[in-house]
Amino acid sequence: MTTRRRFIGTAAAAFAAAATTEALAQAVGGTGKFGESGLVGKLEGPSQSSALPAKFGEAPALAELVKAGKLPPVAQRIPAEPMVLQPLESVGKYGGTWRRAFIGPSDGENGNRIMASDKLLFWDNTGSKIVPCVAKGYELSADGRTTTIHLRKGMKWSDGAPFTADDFVFWFEDIYGNKDIVPAPIADMIAGGKAGKIVKVDATTVQFVFENPYYLFPDMLAGDTLIGGGQSAAASFGKSYGAYMPAHYLKQFLPKYSTEAEVNAKAKAAGFDTWARAIKVKMDWELNPDLPTLGPWKTTRPINTPTWVMERNPYYYAVDTAGNQLPYMDSVVMTLAENIEVANLRAMAGEYDLQERHIDLAKLPVIMENRERGKYDVHLDLAYNGADTTLHVNMDHRADPEVGKWLATADFRRALSLGIDREQMNETFWLGLATPGSTAPAEVMPESPGPEWRKKWSTLDVALANKMLDALGLTKKDSEGYRLRTDNGKRLVIELLAIKAFMDWPKHAEMIAQHWRKIGIYGDVKEAERGLAFQRRDAGDHHILIWTNGGTELLYLYPSWALPVDVSNGVYGMEHAKWYASAGAQGTKPKDPNMLKALELFAAAAGQKEEQRNKTAQEIWKIMVDQQFHIGTCGQSPALMGVRLASRRLGNIPGRACIAQHCRTPGSSHPETWFFKT
Amino acid sequence: MIAFVTRRLLLGLVTVWLISMLSFAIIQLPPGDFVDAYIAQLSASGSTVSAEEAAAMRQLYGLGQPIYVQYGKWIFRVVQGDFGESMEWRRPVTEVIGDRIWLTLLLSFSALIITWGLALPIGIYSAVKQYSFGDYAFTLFGFIGIAVPNFLLALIVMYFSFTLLDANVGGLFSADYLLAGWSLGKVWDLMKHLPLPAVILALGGTAQLIRIMRANLLDELRKPYVVTARAKGVAERKVILKYPVRAALNPFASNIAYLFPYLVSGSIIVSIVLGLPTVGPLLVKALIAKDMFLAGTIVLLLGVMTVIGTFISDLVLMWVEPRLRHQMD
Repeated sequence: MTTRRRFIGTAAAAFAAAATTEALAQAVGGTGKFGESGLVGKLEGPSQSSALPAKFGEAPALAELVKAGKLPPVAQRIPAEPMVLQPLESVGKYGGTWRRAFIGPSDGENGNRIMASDKLLFWDNTGSKIVPCVAKGYELSADGRTTTIHLRKGMKWSDGAPFTADDFVFWFEDIYGNKDIVPAPIADMIAGGKAGKIVKVDATTVQFVFENPYYLFPDMLAGDTLIGGGQSAAASFGKSYGAYMPAHYLKQFLPKYSTEAEVNAKAKAAGFDTWARAIKVKMDWELNPDLPTLGPWKTTRPINTPTWVMERNPYYYAVDTAGNQLPYMDSVVMTLAENIEVANLRAMAGEYDLQERHIDLAKLPVIMENRERGKYDVHLDLAYNGADTTLHVNMDHRADPEVGKWLATADFRRALSLGIDREQMNETFWLGLATPGSTAPAEVMPESPGPEWRKKWSTLDVALANKMLDALGLTKKDSEGYRLRTDNGKRLVIELLAIKAFMDWPKHAEMIAQHWRKIGIYGDVKEAERGLAFQRRDAGDHHILIWTNGGTELLYLYPSWALPVDVSNGVYGMEHAKWYASAGAQGTKPKDPNMLKALELFAAAAGQKEEQRNKTAQEIWKIMVDQQFHIGTCGQSPALMGVRLASRRLGNIPGRACIAQHCRTPGSSHPETWFFKT
Repeated sequence: MIAFVTRRLLLGLVTVWLISMLSFAIIQLPPGDFVDAYIAQLSASGSTVSAEEAAAMRQLYGLGQPIYVQYGKWIFRVVQGDFGESMEWRRPVTEVIGDRIWLTLLLSFSALIITWGLALPIGIYSAVKQYSFGDYAFTLFGFIGIAVPNFLLALIVMYFSFTLLDANVGGLFSADYLLAGWSLGKVWDLMKHLPLPAVILALGGTAQLIRIMRANLLDELRKPYVVTARAKGVAERKVILKYPVRAALNPFASNIAYLFPYLVSGSIIVSIVLGLPTVGPLLVKALIAKDMFLAGTIVLLLGVMTVIGTFISDLVLMWVEPRLRHQMD
């Protein structure tokens, strides 16, 4: 307890007092109280340079291979137009192994995110601007129907084979177009209800052509989407997307290029039931060390063993400003931590060189205490999403019509929101590090509707909440002071469905239920295992589900936890989502005119240009916050992948990194530019 | 005698078959399937799966079929020695378990040797020197050992080894040797890591066995044949070791039945707390992720081990206990 108190005394108390929007702005500048604490640094990272270095360097191990004649010289391995990265502090040194934790074969995102530079387009280190990546550039036609991608001349796969437009055509025709591999088209490749296509212009030029305007498409390519996620993320664990694939390698596993009997026999010999099953493993970089890739490192020991090992890709397409081929570090070794507690303990013992994933914010005081012993620096990276703990309201609850009626009533939702003491939650669960408010994103985001919408209906006002509930006719109370239902006179019970996932949400829910006593609402906390909770959600059984709204700061790229548009998420009413996704053919139309307005705006946005699209998003946010479709508590915090422990031996480590769905934490900080100083 | 053994064997087979059905049914009990669990896991780590993808995955893994079809397919392959593919690890189940089974066995055997090596002599000493200072000391130690759950002990030991000794936390190898092939250095590294978890695993069982041994031996020591032997002038050492101790050993023999499944699973909770790469945590993860083939195989393995253990303990009991043998004839 003393350590926590002491810590709060020196640093966190300052945060709590200054955890306002102004403080956040200052934090970005590194001048505010956040900056003084040394934990939240300046938002920074490597940037791209247009100056092509005169000569190129390479890692000593690769130079030896070149000398032995086993590898072509570096100038022939990198593209004629490489990506030139200006490292954050200085040109680095080659060598070293990045030690890191992963928690099992389902933790593939751990590595996918490090390889995020295999995306066609990406975001800069602030997460606010789209920059070239695998593609050296792109053009969106004036009518919004065609996005042209320019590849880098002379770029190669990790096995040395050329990477060309044919790899895109192969993906589109032989993988995406093959019903045995991809049974249904993805929304990313559809504009205005019509499917798009990929067209090869020449060896280094590819076009994505749609029949309707799709101004959003470049953002989709830069975002963490199925089409733009890159090979590592979009073509792993059973997924077969990502817009390109190594044709020269994968053709051998397809019936089209031999016979079905032959590929099936091959699959059987390798221990798979069918060729379709085999190719899913063969195209997965986490599992198949032979797969040609584009990222800075490639798997040498697969993820389904106790150590997931990656070694440098000798053909990686990026160099530093001095012409040294990246990455600096020879390899990445992830060791299996049987559980998150062990991962945290090992991190504090200094057994990992850089770890932001699986680090628990609640352990911050202990993490701080062990800094000297573990020889690491602690960085807190603040997210941009409005609320790590969001009360997602089911506005189409039918099992209990009385409850359904209230949940569908805006003033009822507003009163619930006004009844939450966010400051107390912040102190208890975020050590005072988060920003209390609505679900709207941080003001620095282009889609932010403005600071007043962070506060709207989202501050503690018990008197107003009680007045609103009284006005709704919920005036009768039982002996304990809880309001009664209007249909049968029993106590009105609102269930809070909470999952113990990366935050201890059942505890958050308990606290909210306590706050609601003061407004006479009985909150009943139901803790459920994830799978079960999500099943109840999709069946529409829940009243309110607690989950994060991370990702919604770029609404169009990740709308699932903001609006009923995604048929894999029924949190606001599955029937509404079906209605939206099928353009009215299935499901039921929402009755709430405000919801209809929000959905209408959202549907129109894909065909709008950026500036107008951002304005539309602001309009949607105003509706969502005003109507309280989802109730925000505290956000813009480091709770998710934002507590970063970096060894003091490492160089080029940003003071603050962008942590967001689209930044592919830590991808946009380009781990290939990090190096060991000693 | 042979008839007895054959009957036991046949009953064992039927039990194994029932266990296989039961374990498959248990795995199917919680709502949702592997794909649900996987999607939930992905969404927690910031990634999504569309409904189409989910449907494709279900088809790929044959999850849409009725449960008896899934069971039939599974058991048919198991009989042929093919335990299927772990959905979570995307490798054959035998390989996934094989990775860990030897370390698990090593750890469990070490714990077992410590347990018996401590419990037998201490139990005998406590009974023979009843109410001596040593007996009280061991009794105190025994009660603490029984009362403190061993996962708590694991946490305490881990805390002190972290704060005081700066020791590698969790696991059976240090980082340098994790990737290396087997060498003398690696064996030594393992030897350095092994005692701590082995002792923690052993302590609870040791305390219990000391109490059992002491109580049984005390019963035997008061019997007339011991008095007779002493009266006839048999050396004290021989009096105790040759007859009463042998009779008091029966609980050890019947304990074998429970040791077998323990040998392959290790102690699940202690393994999780200490981050040991044994089969126990693998089972827990497989159950959470609804990785049917992996969980089913481990549960089946545990069931089969219990059956084999019971069978062997019956044989051992018959061997050490002539009265049982004679009942049979």
